Amino acid sequence: MSSVTLTGVARSYKGARALDAISLTAPEGKVLALLGPSGSGKSTILRLIAGLEAVDAGEILIGDELVSTHARTLPAEQRRIGMVFQDYSLFPHLTAAANVGFGLDKLDRAEREEKALYWLDRVGLKHRAHAFPHELSGGEQQRVALARALAPAPRAVLLDEPFSGLDPVQRAELRDATIATLAEAKTTTLFVTHDAEDALQVADRLAILKTGRVLQEGTPREAYEHPASIDAAAALGPVNVFDGHAENGAVTTPFGAVRAPALPAGPARAGVRAEALRLNPGTSARVLDVRPHGAHDLVRIEAKGVVWRALVPARAQLGDQVDVEIQPAGAFAFSD
Amino acid sequence: MALDAAPAQRRGLAFDGVAIAAAVATLICAAPALAVIGFALAPGDGGANFGGELLRDGALGTFALMLVGGGGAILFGAAAAWLVSLCGFPGRSAFEWLLVLPLAAPSYVLAYSYASFTWAGGWSPIEVRGFWGAAFVYAVGLYPYVYLAARAAFASQSACALEAARTLGVSPGKLFRRVALPMARPGIAAGGALALMEIAADYGAAQHFGLTTLSTAIFRAWYAHQSLHGALQIAAVLLLAALAFLMIERRARGRASFAGGSTRWRPLPRYQLSSLAGAAATAFCVALVTLGALLPLGWLARLALLHANLGDVVQPFVNTIMLATLGALVTLVLASAIAVAARRATGAGKASLFAAAMGYAAPGAVIAMGALALFAVAREAGWIGGLGTGLALAALFWCYAARFAAAGVGPIDAGLARLSKGLDASARMLGAGPWRRLARIDLPIAAPSIAAAALILFVEIVKELPATLILRPFDFDTLAVRAHSYASDERLLEAAAPSLLIFLAGLLPILVLTRGITRARAGLRRAEAAPAPQAGAR
Repeated sequence: MSSVTLTGVARSYKGARALDAISLTAPEGKVLALLGPSGSGKSTILRLIAGLEAVDAGEILIGDELVSTHARTLPAEQRRIGMVFQDYSLFPHLTAAANVGFGLDKLDRAEREEKALYWLDRVGLKHRAHAFPHELSGGEQQRVALARALAPAPRAVLLDEPFSGLDPVQRAELRDATIATLAEAKTTTLFVTHDAEDALQVADRLAILKTGRVLQEGTPREAYEHPASIDAAAALGPVNVFDGHAENGAVTTPFGAVRAPALPAGPARAGVRAEALRLNPGTSARVLDVRPHGAHDLVRIEAKGVVWRALVPARAQLGDQVDVEIQPAGAFAFSD
Repeated sequence: MALDAAPAQRRGLAFDGVAIAAAVATLICAAPALAVIGFALAPGDGGANFGGELLRDGALGTFALMLVGGGGAILFGAAAAWLVSLCGFPGRSAFEWLLVLPLAAPSYVLAYSYASFTWAGGWSPIEVRGFWGAAFVYAVGLYPYVYLAARAAFASQSACALEAARTLGVSPGKLFRRVALPMARPGIAAGGALALMEIAADYGAAQHFGLTTLSTAIFRAWYAHQSLHGALQIAAVLLLAALAFLMIERRARGRASFAGGSTRWRPLPRYQLSSLAGAAATAFCVALVTLGALLPLGWLARLALLHANLGDVVQPFVNTIMLATLGALVTLVLASAIAVAARRATGAGKASLFAAAMGYAAPGAVIAMGALALFAVAREAGWIGGLGTGLALAALFWCYAARFAAAGVGPIDAGLARLSKGLDASARMLGAGPWRRLARIDLPIAAPSIAAAALILFVEIVKELPATLILRPFDFDTLAVRAHSYASDERLLEAAAPSLLIFLAGLLPILVLTRGITRARAGLRRAEAAPAPQAGAR
């Protein structure tokens, strides 16, 4: 396996900038998640690394081999990169085993079959080796696609929204199984998703993208606790925003102070994650409503005409009035 | 390092052999048509004066026949495809293949049959003749082109989309108009284009009914007025008209194009029609099969049994089978190369498709004359000798390829269109080069379509009259040529036997063809062939 490095990569479609000077590194043997909404250019990055499209500017290295520049593009079939497509793109006329064996054509028949079965076994589908794609469930198709991508021992694997279109239970199971498989294979992985939870669960490193730019790159913890901007923070979960002033190293919001020692005095914007608000019995804010939100309750609170959302443990007994405590790990401020 | 060694291009499309093969195939297919235009634009020999009136009358005649006959064929074909694909009614599964039968009969065979049925010693009180006779023959004879393409399109539709529509409370009629028809539109357009081009290219039926169309005008300019140049000019006009028509069709299809839907198959949902509606559907299908095939076939059989002279047809029969088999193979190879390249690449591939379609729109006679003109140039240059038997056969195969490549490209392309766009990318990511992708992905998935294309090409060549008439080696009669020469002498009784054989030769592959279409729904076939234990609860 190898690292994958993008330096100053740009790509336009009919004059519209899809990617603008992207620089990224997927470290060897690690999982890099590309997180962003649709239109952020994350899928384009995968297609460029795959060699399915050419870069307009910049360069892409796999290991220390230069594979894409403005002038030249090493064809996809010569890159030794695995890819799991969003629709899985299994060959409908081939069995699961033949799909997995497709990339192993350098081996003789017996070896190829043995290796295909080995990889099907790794994803827990050995018993479905002779099934055709249409006979497999969505989750099974995804696992075959993963085995197919990994079987030829690629230098890196690209996953394009691999868990979309699956139900939540299947999704969580499949996500865990996929991480386990990838970790065992110690493969460099680039993984595109619009789902913050997927990204936080799966990634060793995280790149947050918006409109063709990298907002932030770092470990999930760094990105979560020290966002580079409000936008970067919002990519990982709901953020309450307040426009105020920085004075004496803090921004005062209706719900309390957000500490920002490095910030110069002047107009500033504070952001507080919904899950970083603690609600205690008190009188400083009014509770507007409480709604179940998975393992949590989503509480809307109001103070001085400003409404924020707080995620608190489910079925906490709250009165009509609460005191609000802002936990520093999920609070940050930036000057305007 | 690998980067320098790899012949890679700027846009990431590897420069591959498949593309080169496609370019050569395109050139072969386009040459006669281009020659026609080239020679038509060349300085005239004075014969151009004839062009005017003949051209006008011919254009009007062809247009009117396309409108009435072609409109009928599209209506019949699309309606029949819808009924058979998505509704349940008595006899449905039998009609699935019975409706294809008229494909066996070329328009001129139907014309000869109906002419004798309704006229000389015939039984019918209504005469089938003149403009309405020709329009009738086209409508009942050519609807299978639309039927086949539309049915393939209906069959490839995702059951999910149709079921989604049904859960929204959509009635069968509305489901057809709002969901199934728009989704099948590319197929119907493709099939309709084939039917209309057949009408424009038809020489035998229009000539027998005494109509002036662009095709018959070409012959008249050439034979009656001895003006090859005038004929080529009319032909060039027909070619340009077909070109404009093609552009409109392509645009319509482009707008309707969408990715191949889900790869998760399920049997299509079928509407069970009420007994009254079911009876009407059955009657409609019976009428189509009877008028397009059974009645003319039965009548020809009766005449042939009464008047046949076996020795008269054996040699033409053998000649025909030989020509059609070899011609179909040659054409198929070229058509496959064009279709695969067009699906894969960009502008060049589209140009190939267009060149092929242009040849199909042109009447066989024109393609033949274009080829003849090119041979004449080659002979003057001293590259070849006279047009001996071998060379004449080569010229014939060339013309068949140029003329019918589109008929092969269409179904193959439609089959390739079913591929998810990710499959080619998937195969590339797994290290498969262009030839391996062709052999392992494109061809196997398109195999049912290629089989369908081969059969269509075989039938087309058996039926081809004008090109064969012009280019055949001396004393080399095919069934079509023999039938035509009898019919021209108003010897319809003698024309019956070769006509019947053309009909039957066309029937044989069609009986196989229907299976190929059903197999096009890969999921259905696999599910039936290998009922594997279902682990996934879907």
